[in-house]
Amino acid sequence: MIVGISIALIVSSALMILFVLLHKGKGGGLSDLFGGGFSSSFGGSSVVERNLDRLTIITGVVWFVCIIALGLLLRP
Amino acid sequence: MLTAFTRAFRTPDLRKKLLFTLGIIALFRLGSFLPTPGVHVSNIQQCLGQVQAGPNASVYSLINLFSGGALLQLAVFALGIMPYITASIILQLLTVVIPRLEALRKEGQQGTAKITQYTRYLTIGLAVLQSTAFIALARSGQMFPGCNLDIMVNDSIFTLVVMVITMTAGTSVIMWLGELVTDRGIGNGMSILIFTQVVAVFPAELGRILQTKGGWTFAVVMIVGVLMIAAVVFVEQAQRRVPVQYAKRMVGRRMYGGTSTYIPLKVNQAGIIPVIFASSLLYLPQLAITMFGDQKNPNAVVSFISRYYSSANTGNWVYMLTFFLLIVFFTYFYVSITFNPPEVADNMKKYGGFIPGIRPGRPTAEYLSFVLSRLTAPGSLYLGLISLVPLVALTLVGASQNFPFGGTSILIIVGVGLDTVKQIESQLQQRNYEGFLR
Repeated sequence: MIVGISIALIVSSALMILFVLLHKGKGGGLSDLFGGGFSSSFGGSSVVERNLDRLTIITGVVWFVCIIALGLLLRP
Repeated sequence: MLTAFTRAFRTPDLRKKLLFTLGIIALFRLGSFLPTPGVHVSNIQQCLGQVQAGPNASVYSLINLFSGGALLQLAVFALGIMPYITASIILQLLTVVIPRLEALRKEGQQGTAKITQYTRYLTIGLAVLQSTAFIALARSGQMFPGCNLDIMVNDSIFTLVVMVITMTAGTSVIMWLGELVTDRGIGNGMSILIFTQVVAVFPAELGRILQTKGGWTFAVVMIVGVLMIAAVVFVEQAQRRVPVQYAKRMVGRRMYGGTSTYIPLKVNQAGIIPVIFASSLLYLPQLAITMFGDQKNPNAVVSFISRYYSSANTGNWVYMLTFFLLIVFFTYFYVSITFNPPEVADNMKKYGGFIPGIRPGRPTAEYLSFVLSRLTAPGSLYLGLISLVPLVALTLVGASQNFPFGGTSILIIVGVGLDTVKQIESQLQQRNYEGFLR
């Protein structure tokens, strides 16, 4: 049981990292981190981006559930 | 003020953005409390209590400042946005060194997007490194010196790997949350997340001062804090407006230019980045001697460092002086990276602009750099003095390093707060003219 959920957690974590890295970076580095000029994002998001959002959210939920489940199982 | 708030919530698209941002912040805080699977929660709480009462409370202060207490609890979001900040700093420095990155930066929007993408990859790499380091620290019991309870539930390699991967994924989730806020919410996502973590430790710190020092000290601290916030707002808003006149010109049948604008040069052009640079650099000597130094019979260098640069003893004058000088240096350094007078002068010349009384081209660049270096002098002194306040308070009142009104935290709070309010304001003004700031 614990091993199964651990493996699920590892897989979903890896997917999560992958999906986040697939997104286009919107925060523009450090220069506008602390009070630079404010940059507006042009245009809406494309279909690819929207599907990616959906996938990321689903993976995120799975990831979150895995963490809670594993945390409860591993409680001493 | 209050009516502006209700008006902000009555505007549909603004309300949506505000609620979205608040929701992300709530998710973020939830992740900062959720322990990573495999952590022994009750033991870690006990150890935390011991360490905070002990003398080494300030060891992880900087990293802990950016993680809002999540780091010492080994939460899922334990690393917070520190990896992202470190990655951005590294890339920012590398643009000076590596020609390809500099070429990318000059390319405009597309190049910047590429650099951002590199920053994201580097963030994940750093997150793997840092989470491994912290898990190793926690496993060997060095994370809480003097606390002998087991932090991990079990020591098997498999559990440790799961923890490292979970924390790394947590960092990537934070990055995504920040980008979502930038994209669909209000303000710059990353800085709002930093702001959240800094503010999150505020009530606890204030409560500790009230408990340990009594009402009078608490009142004095509050008054000093409010005065300091006012002072910081004053300096952050201060700018010198260099007038620029654009020549009129005809292109086809249209008339262009002829307007007079100004280049705003802020007194503190560098923001809080010098403070972050300096404080992360000052951790290095101590780290070096704990790793390589001979503790048994120390030579002159090691004993000097452990006497003056240990983070347990930041109240001495050598430490303060080094900190101050580093901040002044980094302020000049960062301003020279972000604002390039010859480039600005060139651009102005291209579009037919000039500063009244000064020739376009090289004289303009010289004038701009002269004004900028004179402006940065008080700016850097101000940054240095503000960041010394918590260290002075440490010696005077005996408050902890995370002294709420001081240094990095106050600069972050005021800077991000001002920025966000300005953005809400500009959104509000699309509908009505009266906003928060008069």
